[in-house]
Amino acid sequence: MAATALEIRDLSKSYVVNGAPLPVLAGISLDVAPGEFVSVVGASGCGKSTLLRLIVGLEQEHDGRLAYDGRPIDGPGRERAIVFQEHRLFPWLTAVQNVEAGLARSDLGKSERRRIALEHLALVGLSNFAEALPKQLSGGMAQRVAIARALVSRPGLLLLDEPFGALDALTRSHLQREVLRIVRQEGLSAIIVTHDVDEAILLGDRVVVMQPHPGRIAEVIVEEEGPAREPGTPEAVALRRRILHRLGED
Amino acid sequence: MTSTTSAVDLPLPSGAVARPRRLFLPHPRRLLPVLEGLVLPAVLLGAWALTSHQGWLPAQILPGPGSVLDAFRELLASGELGDHIRASLSRVILGFALGGGLGLLLGVAMGVSRAASEIIEPVFVWFAQVPPIALAPLLILLVGIDEALKVLIVAKAAMIPLAVNTAEGVRNVPRQWREVGRVFGFSPARTVFGLVLPAALPTVFSGVRTGLTHAWLTLVAVELIASTEGLGYLMVWGRQLFQLEFVLLSVVVIALIGFALDRGLNRIEARIGAWR
Amino acid sequence: MTAGLAPRVLRFSLLPLALLALWQGVTAAGWTDLREFPAPATVFARALGEWQSGVLPEALLASLARDLAGFALGAAAGIPLGLTLGLSPWFGRLVGPTFDSFKQIAIFAWIPLFGLWFGMGESAKVVFIATAAFVPITVNAWAGARALPQTLEEATAVLRFSPWQRLIWARLPAALPDIVAGLRVGLINAWLATVGAEYFMSVAPGLGSVLISGRDLYAMDLVLVGVLVLGLTGVALDTVASRLGAILIRWQ
Ligand SMILES: Nc1ncnc2c1ncn2[C@@H]1O[C@H](COP(=O)(O)OP(=O)(O)OP(=O)(O)O)[C@@H](O)[C@H]1O
Ligand SMILES: [Mg+2]
Repeated sequence: MAATALEIRDLSKSYVVNGAPLPVLAGISLDVAPGEFVSVVGASGCGKSTLLRLIVGLEQEHDGRLAYDGRPIDGPGRERAIVFQEHRLFPWLTAVQNVEAGLARSDLGKSERRRIALEHLALVGLSNFAEALPKQLSGGMAQRVAIARALVSRPGLLLLDEPFGALDALTRSHLQREVLRIVRQEGLSAIIVTHDVDEAILLGDRVVVMQPHPGRIAEVIVEEEGPAREPGTPEAVALRRRILHRLGED
Repeated sequence: MTSTTSAVDLPLPSGAVARPRRLFLPHPRRLLPVLEGLVLPAVLLGAWALTSHQGWLPAQILPGPGSVLDAFRELLASGELGDHIRASLSRVILGFALGGGLGLLLGVAMGVSRAASEIIEPVFVWFAQVPPIALAPLLILLVGIDEALKVLIVAKAAMIPLAVNTAEGVRNVPRQWREVGRVFGFSPARTVFGLVLPAALPTVFSGVRTGLTHAWLTLVAVELIASTEGLGYLMVWGRQLFQLEFVLLSVVVIALIGFALDRGLNRIEARIGAWR
Repeated sequence: MTAGLAPRVLRFSLLPLALLALWQGVTAAGWTDLREFPAPATVFARALGEWQSGVLPEALLASLARDLAGFALGAAAGIPLGLTLGLSPWFGRLVGPTFDSFKQIAIFAWIPLFGLWFGMGESAKVVFIATAAFVPITVNAWAGARALPQTLEEATAVLRFSPWQRLIWARLPAALPDIVAGLRVGLINAWLATVGAEYFMSVAPGLGSVLISGRDLYAMDLVLVGVLVLGLTGVALDTVASRLGAILIRWQ
């Protein structure tokens, strides 16, 4: 395996708004190593979602280099999966069918697909809800299904765009730990975009702090291993203050 | 009128100031879809013209576009077309006013009071499903074959959607709003007309739109039954004389008026619904 | 529960009973010069008689068969057309404006022409009914084909659905609620058109000709029987349609 999974070099992106180009991302450079978890924090509108959409391949026009496993990214691919802030499950499919939708492009047989989908539902603790429709699931459960759907195709890189933003504190804390466990267990690389600094500290091996107008990286903070990431520890509190201070500058 | 659309599709570069406002043609980029939409009508028109020119179909089955145009000129010049349109429109307006008014009252009653709605509904649900035209034989026996017949049938058609929509709109007015009325000690009438109806206006208006459309559809049917003027009569007359150009002309005029009604009401609806 | 039931039943039957009483009173008192106006009992007796003699069931079945044939034809044309209009931008631009103009033609305006073009028999009626159902069914299928929200559209892209999977798993299910709504309106329209066809076009067995013969014979009771049955059948059709529709879109 290469030493970098994701390579972002001098990435810039602008949208055309009212006839004039509006720079949204400017000169972003970042490498993500295999198995590394990166948190991204930044003010609203600083281009965090745009960055993830570029990486996953939903947006394709940009300047600079964007490559995964050495290959330039030119559209969605099996090896990169995303979980959005809203679960984006298909309301007409059951939970297990939604997870199977993540295998749309695999050559597996029907029963094999079902088996793998059920396995991934079990991974997020929803074995008993395989036949439930999305409207019958709570917000947290639906988001778990979305995570299972993202993981089922065995991606190398998991992108999370404020995936827990709409959940209550308890469910959120639960899911954070669950995602961390799965990412570590499967040896994935992951990028999480969040507004919650504690969440960024808890999950990230590094925290990328972005600033707006145009979106750029203000600082990349490498975290220590272990309990220093737990909210409330002196290290975490200090780190939190440092990040918030960074975010306050403009 | 200022153009509010220009900022969306084709904004000016910030340097450019006044470009002459829209001449007669839309901008080329907007012209293209319009032209594409005209391809099929042009083909159909061509096929129609060719068919009649070559005499593939007898004129008693399908007269050519030329004779429809001639019929149009003739009726326009004699003023007959205007008379027929006026007769049809006045029936629609009368019938709509009658039926719409009744539907509005009924809708308010059903929307405000649950008991009223439970009392009215059994008969209403049945009556809503009676095709307006089916009332014709009954009404002919009761009121004869004159204007009253037409106006009443049109009124029935207009009444149903207005009642349904008003009831729904009024029912969905947030309870807090009604409580505001109670807090300020509004009279029931003031609560309904000053508070509930304005809040329900967008829904009620979509009932107005549907009601008017139904009134128009039904009018055409009613005029087929028995009349001495009106667009439906023009059709019957043309059909009986095997002068189909008059029938086709009526079809076009009916469609144009339907289109104009729909468009006009759409515009108003967009304004009324703006606060939502 | 049961305590509330009695008043409720009472309320539901209040207006029908009141109308019946009024009707009975008016005809019995002979206030009006509506001498022809039959009393409720007369109408129900007539209904019963026509039912037992087989005239009414036969007319009802003939009308229903015509109605459903036209409806099926309209749906078979309208659903594919509407979906194609919405799914293919190219086709939508080319054909959409023409359809939009076509739908402005008040349905009854077709009657004089269809009678001439499709003969005096059954086919003209069925085509007319089909046209009435076709318009709302197409309009709604067209809207439905564009109903997949952008968020789910993106989900299909990220999951790398093939164009075929996108259609079958996303676009069509997303269109279903609109299609169902269109079919329901189409069914109501078809019923209106059935009566119109039987009333205005050539004579044929059906509820429309019950009305006509009642009118021609000055048999008001027969006319009333016809109106009653037409309304009740319409209610039944609509109820069945909305139940079936709800089953199809249970996920909503
Ligand atoms: N399709 C688009 N067209 C034009 N501008 C866009 C488009 N998408 C995003 N933008 C703009 O790009 C900027 C960055 O948007 P983005 O959604 O990436 O921000 P974000 O950091 O994710 O914000 P938030 O934290 O609120 O989610 C915003 O100013 C937004 O208005
Ligand atoms: Mg965002």
